[in-house]
Amino acid sequence: MLNLKGLAAGICVATALVSSAAASETVVWWDFLSGGDGVRMKQMIQDFNKEHEGQITIDATTLEWGVPFYSKVQTSAAVGEAPDIMTYHASRIPLAVEQGILTEVTSADWQQMGLGKNDYADATWDAVTIDGKQYAVPLDTHPVVLYYNKDILGKAGLLTENGVPKGMDSRDGFTATLQALKAAGVKYPLGSVTADGNFMFRTIYSLMGQQDGVLMSGDEFLAGDNAEKLQNALAVLQDWTNEGLQSTYTDYPATVALFTSGEAAMMINGVWEVPTMTDAHAKGKLFEWGAVELPVIFDHPSTYADSHTFAIPANKGKEMSKARHDAVLEVMSWISRNSLFWATAGHIPAYGPVTNSAEYKAMEPNATYSSLTANMIFDPKSPKAGIAGPIFDVMSSYFVPTLNGEMEPAKAVEEIKYELNDL
Amino acid sequence: MAVLLILPFVAIYGLVFIYPTIKMFILSFTDAPLIGAGDWVGLENYERLPRDRRFHTALWNTFYFVALTVIPGTLVALVISLGINRLKGRLQSLVLALFFLPYILPVSVVYLIWDWTLNFQFGIAMHLFDWAGADRIPVFKSTAWFMPAVGFVTIWWTAGFSILLFLAGRRAIPEEIYEAASLDNSGSWSTFSRVTWPLMWPVTALVSTIQLILQLKIFDQVYLFSQGGRPNDNLVLVYYVFQRAFQSNQGGRAAAVAVVLFVIVIVVSVLNFQLTRLSGGRRK
Repeated sequence: MLNLKGLAAGICVATALVSSAAASETVVWWDFLSGGDGVRMKQMIQDFNKEHEGQITIDATTLEWGVPFYSKVQTSAAVGEAPDIMTYHASRIPLAVEQGILTEVTSADWQQMGLGKNDYADATWDAVTIDGKQYAVPLDTHPVVLYYNKDILGKAGLLTENGVPKGMDSRDGFTATLQALKAAGVKYPLGSVTADGNFMFRTIYSLMGQQDGVLMSGDEFLAGDNAEKLQNALAVLQDWTNEGLQSTYTDYPATVALFTSGEAAMMINGVWEVPTMTDAHAKGKLFEWGAVELPVIFDHPSTYADSHTFAIPANKGKEMSKARHDAVLEVMSWISRNSLFWATAGHIPAYGPVTNSAEYKAMEPNATYSSLTANMIFDPKSPKAGIAGPIFDVMSSYFVPTLNGEMEPAKAVEEIKYELNDL
Repeated sequence: MAVLLILPFVAIYGLVFIYPTIKMFILSFTDAPLIGAGDWVGLENYERLPRDRRFHTALWNTFYFVALTVIPGTLVALVISLGINRLKGRLQSLVLALFFLPYILPVSVVYLIWDWTLNFQFGIAMHLFDWAGADRIPVFKSTAWFMPAVGFVTIWWTAGFSILLFLAGRRAIPEEIYEAASLDNSGSWSTFSRVTWPLMWPVTALVSTIQLILQLKIFDQVYLFSQGGRPNDNLVLVYYVFQRAFQSNQGGRAAAVAVVLFVIVIVVSVLNFQLTRLSGGRRK
């Protein structure tokens, strides 16, 4: 065992010697991007490395999304083994800051990168800010959108002149569209990830947002009429299940499969599935499709979004060298400026100058749904929030039975409220 | 000399087992986060447990899972091993290998195989349901089916090892005893109940104790099959420790649950081993 350790140390010293001899910094990078967007990120890393040949090299590793990634980051930062830079969900930042595993991005850093508050939407900037300090550089926002099969909807006469689904402005209107699809013989008018309550949080929280509902007021969960708003949201979705308008007990991969095989005419899913559709369509394996902002079921448009960001881990007992830190800042700055390519992964780049560019505005389907940026809501800022966090688990345990018609929405909300306040 | 020889083991055992265990006990009396130290809070972490709904779920599910797997799993392995014992030569090796095969699979592979089989939309088993005219069952998404299904998968996965132990136990019984039994005109049931069963009792006690400890510590399968489903309804004790420590960043409260599990494992396994030994002794 000791020998192994000695060997490992030897290798480390050797690599350090080699890299300093070449006067080039190697930036160790961890991400959790393994889907169609992961392929695009690898392309960007390659481009970066090519452009910075002899100066900076990114050494990237992709880890398992969600709990595995965040567990690993927490423990490795505590023993000084975390990478130099990592992708991070904005929703997870409050917990990370409480644990002290992120390094602050100082105003000097922002200046050096040539980025700043004015380059980002307010909600996005706010999502990486804790007590007036920033802990990450936003890369994108990734909301959920409504995907639809233009061939099926067109044949059923359910498209407007603009080629978007009819009935997007009200609960009755959208339900009528779903019913018309059912009448036209579509097996599942709406493909819904009903077996995965974690995922459905995105849709349900959006529907709460459409009624101006919030999850947390101060430290209390679902205070006042917020419980009722959650119940309204659940009731709409359960009605669709009861009327046979959406797929039941469908997990994430199955939902995508139902949509791409044409068995489901529409699907609510993250923008990160855009590359899946684009690529399949380019190969001639997919029907004509589109993606739009979620329908307005309640009072006004609102969509839940999270944000991918870049963060620098606070490695315990291991100060980052100035040269390495400069290299990391260059990575974050370069990728932000070149994030137009990242938009082909479906995500909406966070860096304003990119989304304001003429090239971005000509991109489809991004341009159609990017209107939702004005109506985005993020997770409550709490260490309990965020993907794969405790709130998600509570919600998931009650969403699944409710969405599949096993539990009454009122009962579910009562239980959720009890458990959330018991966290 | 002897001391010198066991020293490396004792040192490593002390470092990776005794020391962390003591730390865990100390941690359970503090409000420490996942990483770093916390303040002393006395018995507060323990006092919370009786009122903690998720702890109740976890405790109940753990015992339910043990009931579903330990005795059924032991009996299934015993029956299969006696069957295999009747086979001869190559065929015996082949059948034994087939039963042992699942045991060498990593849990993630086991999860994928069964998730594909029982997937509500696309699973092979669901097509069988359709063919038989039955309603599809969302096996891993309903609380009624979850634990029995995970129990079944666990037995399928781990039976191979128990079968090996039973087979070794059966082979250790001298053939002369069976010859004597057949001379006395003993039928197959009385041979089993009066010869095989009592003589294999020590192995049975061993297998059931191993199973008991293993299943009390169940985590992997439950965690994997709960993903995205109803995690808080499917909690078992180790899963709850994981939630408290890694999701909620509450190392102290997690340690308290871990201590409770530690005590349960010790008490239950000692009880089980003594009971099986005693009742086995009476039979003889």
